[in-house]
Amino acid sequence: MVVENPLIAKSRKPGNFVILRIGEDGERFPLTIAGADPVRGTITLVVQIMGVSSSKLVALEPGDCITDLVGPLGKPTHIEKIGTVLAAGGGVGVAPLLPIVEAFKKAGNRVVTVIAARNRDLIILEDEIRKWSDEVIVMTDDGSYGRQGLVTAGMEEIIQREKIDECIVIGPAIMMKFASLLTKKYNIPTQASLNSIMVDGTGMCGACRVTVGGKTKFTCVDGPEFDAHQVNFDEMLMRLGGYLQEEKAATDIYLQKL
Amino acid sequence: MRSKTKNKERTQIERVKMPELAPMIRVKYQDREVNMGLELEQALKEATRCMDCVNPTCIEGCPVNINIPKFIKYIEKGDILQAAATLKETNALPAVCGRVCPQEKQCESRCFYVDKMDKPSVAIGHLERFAADYERNSGAANIPVTAEPNGIKVATVGSGPASLAFAGDMVKYGYDVTVFEALHEIGGVLKYGIPEFRLPNSVVDFELDNLRKMGVKFETNYIVGRTSTFDDLREEGYQGFFIASGAGLPRFMDIPGENSNGILSSNEYLTRVNLMGAALDDKDTPVLKGKNVAVIGGGNTAMDSVRTALRLGAQRAMIIYRRSEAEMPARIEEVKHAKEEGVEFMTLCNPLEYFADQKGRVSGMRLNRMGLGEPDSSGRRRPMPIDGSEFELDVDLVVVAVGVSPNPLVPSCLPDLKVTKWGTIVVDEDKMQSSISEMFAGGDIVRGGATVILAMGDGRRAAENMHTYLQSKSNN
Amino acid sequence: MEEELPRICIPIYRANRIINAIILKMTNLNVTYLGLNLKNPIIAGSSGLTNSIENLKAIEKAGAGAVILKSIFEEEIYLEFAHEFRKLGPMDNNLEFLDYYDYQIKKDNLKNYLSLITEAKKELSIPVIASINCTTAHEWAFFAKKAEDAGADAIELNIFVLPTNLTQTNEDNESTYFDIVSRVSSKIKIPISLKISSYFSNLGAVIRDLSFSEIKGLTLFNKFYSPDVDIFEQKIIGSDVLSQSTDYRLTLRWIGMMANRVNSDLSASTGIHDWQTIVKMLLVGATTVQIVSILYQDGFSVIPAMIQNISNWMEENGYESVADFRGKLSLDNTTNLAEFERVQFMRNFGEHK
Repeated sequence: MVVENPLIAKSRKPGNFVILRIGEDGERFPLTIAGADPVRGTITLVVQIMGVSSSKLVALEPGDCITDLVGPLGKPTHIEKIGTVLAAGGGVGVAPLLPIVEAFKKAGNRVVTVIAARNRDLIILEDEIRKWSDEVIVMTDDGSYGRQGLVTAGMEEIIQREKIDECIVIGPAIMMKFASLLTKKYNIPTQASLNSIMVDGTGMCGACRVTVGGKTKFTCVDGPEFDAHQVNFDEMLMRLGGYLQEEKAATDIYLQKL
Repeated sequence: MRSKTKNKERTQIERVKMPELAPMIRVKYQDREVNMGLELEQALKEATRCMDCVNPTCIEGCPVNINIPKFIKYIEKGDILQAAATLKETNALPAVCGRVCPQEKQCESRCFYVDKMDKPSVAIGHLERFAADYERNSGAANIPVTAEPNGIKVATVGSGPASLAFAGDMVKYGYDVTVFEALHEIGGVLKYGIPEFRLPNSVVDFELDNLRKMGVKFETNYIVGRTSTFDDLREEGYQGFFIASGAGLPRFMDIPGENSNGILSSNEYLTRVNLMGAALDDKDTPVLKGKNVAVIGGGNTAMDSVRTALRLGAQRAMIIYRRSEAEMPARIEEVKHAKEEGVEFMTLCNPLEYFADQKGRVSGMRLNRMGLGEPDSSGRRRPMPIDGSEFELDVDLVVVAVGVSPNPLVPSCLPDLKVTKWGTIVVDEDKMQSSISEMFAGGDIVRGGATVILAMGDGRRAAENMHTYLQSKSNN
Repeated sequence: MEEELPRICIPIYRANRIINAIILKMTNLNVTYLGLNLKNPIIAGSSGLTNSIENLKAIEKAGAGAVILKSIFEEEIYLEFAHEFRKLGPMDNNLEFLDYYDYQIKKDNLKNYLSLITEAKKELSIPVIASINCTTAHEWAFFAKKAEDAGADAIELNIFVLPTNLTQTNEDNESTYFDIVSRVSSKIKIPISLKISSYFSNLGAVIRDLSFSEIKGLTLFNKFYSPDVDIFEQKIIGSDVLSQSTDYRLTLRWIGMMANRVNSDLSASTGIHDWQTIVKMLLVGATTVQIVSILYQDGFSVIPAMIQNISNWMEENGYESVADFRGKLSLDNTTNLAEFERVQFMRNFGEHK
C-alpha cells in the first residue's frame, strides 16, 4: 500500500523501516519501507496478513489515515559496487528485499535474486524484483510455481556456478539461519535483515535485542541488518516465539469480533 | 499571618496523614492512585504547621528554589488559587512534583521541624499537590500571559518534563515553540515511565492542554535527526534547539541467560503497560505476565515495575537489590507502599544467571547473597558476594531495573556535539548551552537519570539563556 | 660410519643422529605447554606490555613462543566505578543512574579485553593466553568463558591472594584455589594454568595437589606489589615494581624440587632477566619461562638474543631439543626434600672456610 508521508519519503534510505499503529488501541509494529517517491511524498509498504495488526492495516481504505507512523528507523543498508550480489528472499521477506535489490542494481552490481515461498500464492513482488535483477529464480516448496525446492537449493546452484561477492538474505528467521549456514560454507559475506519483535523502535526498550558475535545488539538501532554469520539465530528464533500465546489469543478475539 | 497563631500551637499539630487507598484494594487496579489527596480542612491544618521561618531553609532544599513558605501561607489563608500561582512562578508542573519529588531528600529534609526539633517536617509535597489539584479541578486555572509573538522559531527534542518546562517559558517570552516527540504520546517519562497509580495521565494531559492553549505546538511521531535532520529544521527557520531526549536506553547486567524470553528491561515493561495500556484487554499490545516476578534494582523504576507486576496478577513480586534497604535510591514513600502491597524485599541479593525452559522462557535464576564491606571511594559500603551463599529461585518474569542511560540517537546525529563517556551531553552548567551554540540541553540527557524537578529546572534555565542568546543574536 | 662432519660440534657418540644434525642447521627449541605447541619456551608474561595489539605483534616478531595478555581485574572494575562515582559529586539525585553502573564499566572493560583477544588471534600465529584475576568465586568462570568464546588458546588464572585475613585458616585459603579451579574447568574446554604465590605453609604439598587438579599448568610464582617506607614523609610508599635479577632463586628452588612430583607443566616466573637464567630454569625442570621486567627494561629485542644464546648453549652441550636436557638437574622424586635442603645448606656453609 502507498502511504502519504513526505518527510519519511524524503529522508528514507533502502533498508529503513517504519513503526505503525492502527487505532488508539493498536500496538506498535514495524514494516520495512519497500519503496518511496520523494516527489509525490509517498512511501510504499508491503503487508501480509499475519495477525491482528496486519489485518487492521489491510482493512484500511484509501483515504483512511494510519493513526501513528514514525520513521525512518534502523541503519540503512550498506550499498556499494562490489561485483555480483546474491539476494535471497523468503515469503514476506521479499518486500524488504526489493529496495535493497534496486539499490544494489543502481550501484552497478550484477544482481541475482532467488525468491521463495511455500506455494504460488505466497510469491510476491516478482515483477518488481525482475525489474531490478539480472536473473531471478523462483522456488516454491510444493512446486506450484517456478522450481520446486527450498531457497537454499536455488542459492547453492547460483553459488556453484558463479562467483558471488556478497549475499543478502531476508525472510523468516529459520530461512535466514539456513541460508546463512550455506553461505558460511562458501565464505561469502552475508547480511541478514532481522525481523525481531519491537515496541518503540528507537532503542528505548530492548525488546528487539539479538546476540551478534557474542554481543547484545538492538535490531532497531544497530540493525536491522547484521553480519549473518555472527547472528545467533537460535536465540533469535526463540525470542520471536516469546509472545506466541498472547498473539494467538489476540488473533482469535479479533476474528471473533469481525 | 505569623501572628495569627502562636508558634507553640503550630508545633503541637501532628503532621497530616495522606489518605491512601487500602493496599488490598489498590493492588487490583493499575489506574487508581494510591495517594488520594488531602481534603481542604486537612490542607488548611497542615499549612498552619508551617512557621514561616525568617530564614526558610526549605527553599534551599528545593532544586529550583520554590518560595515554599509563600505558597503554604496562601493555603493557610484559604487562597488556594494564589498558592498555585505562586508555585507556578517557579515550577511548571506542581501537580507532578507534588507527587513524584523525593521531598524527604529535598525541601522536607531542610524543614525546621526536622533540622531543629526532630519532628516530622511540614508535608510540603502533599500541600503542593493539593494546591495544584485544587486549581486544576476548579476550572479556574489561569493561562499565563504570553508576550507578543516575536516570530522566532525554536524546537525542543523530546516531550518530557524538561521540554515542557522549557516550552512553557519560551512561549511566554513570545517564541514560536514546537515540541518534537518520537513516540506517539506526549509527556516522555511522565507518560511511559511513571505508572497511573502514582501519576495519572489525566494530570499530565491537563498541563499539556494548558501549554497548547498558550500556543505551544506539538509534533508526535517525529524523530529529530531521522524524520528530519537538524539542518532541515534550520532551513525551516528554527533558530534554537533544546535537546531533552532523555535517558531512554535500557541497561542490562549481561549475565548468562539474560536474553531468555520473559526477561525485560524496565523501559519495555513500563512502556507496554503505561504507554500502550497492555494490561487492558481492549488494547492490542501484549505484556508478559508472571506468577513469580523478580525485579532487579532498588530505585523508583524498580518500585514502579514490581508494583505493576503485582497489579498484573503476580503471586510473588520480589525486589532483588544487592545492597540494604537503607541504601535504596527509591523514595521512602514508594518503598512503604510497595511493602504494604505485599512486595517481598530481598535485599543483599544479586543475580548471577537465569535458567530457561525448552521454549526459552525464563524459569528460574541463581543468586548470591551479599554482605556490605568497607565504604569504597564513593562513600557507599561496597556489596561483596558471600562465598558459598548461592541459591536458586523460581521466577517466570524478570524485570531488569538497574538504571538507564542517555538515548544516543540525537548525539549520534550531531558529530560536533560534545558528549561525556557516560553518554550525557556536555553543557555549561549555568546556561545549559552545549558545545553547539544554538543547541541547549537539559534533563536526563545531561544528568544521566535524575528527577523530574531537576529536569524542569534545566528546562527553565535553558529557556532563560536561549532567550538571551537569541535576543543578542538578533540585535547584532 | 664417520662422515666428514660439517663445522657444528656434535659429539661423536651421537653418531646415529648425525644425519639429523646435518639437515637441521639450528637446534629445535619446540616445547609443548598446556597442550599447545610453542616454538620455544620463552613466554612474554602478563603485564602492561601485553595490552595492545601493536605490542603483541612486536613480541611475536621478536620471536617469543607465546604471549600472556595483561590480566583483566575484577577489582579494577569496581575501583574504577567507585572512583567515577565519587568524581560526580553529590549524587543523591543521580543515585538511580549510578547505582549499578559498575556493570556498565564491566561490560566496557570486558568488551575491550575480548576485542583484544579476538584481534590478537587474528593477527598472531603464536598461542595467545588470556589472564584473569577475580575476587569473587562466581566471576572467575564468567570471565574465563567469555575469554574462551573470544578465541583465547588457554587461560591463566592469576590468583592474587595474600593471606592477610587472620580469621581464615590454611584450609580456607587453600580451598579457595581448588574451588576456583573446579568452577572454571566446569565451564570451559581450553586448558587452564594457575599462577600462584609462594605464601603457603606447606608449599610443596599445595603445588603437588594443585597440579593434580583439572589444571594443565602451574606458574611459580606471582610477584606481589611490595610496600616500602619513606622515612622523610613518614608514609608507606610502593617500592620497585620490576624484579631484580636475583629474584629468580625462589622459583628456581621450588621448580627444581617439585618438577618430578607434579602432574602438570611448570612455568617459571619472576626475575628471569637473561638467557642463562632461562637455561637454569629449564635444567631444573621448567616447561616454559615467563619474562616481564626485562622487556620493560630493555625492550622486546632481548628475545632474539636469548633464543640465539640458548641455541648455541644447546649445540655446545650436544642437545638437539629442550626435552634432551629439561629437568636434568631437578630433584628426583625419591629424594627427601628436607634432607636435600639441610644437606645442601651444610655443604654450602660447611665448605666455606
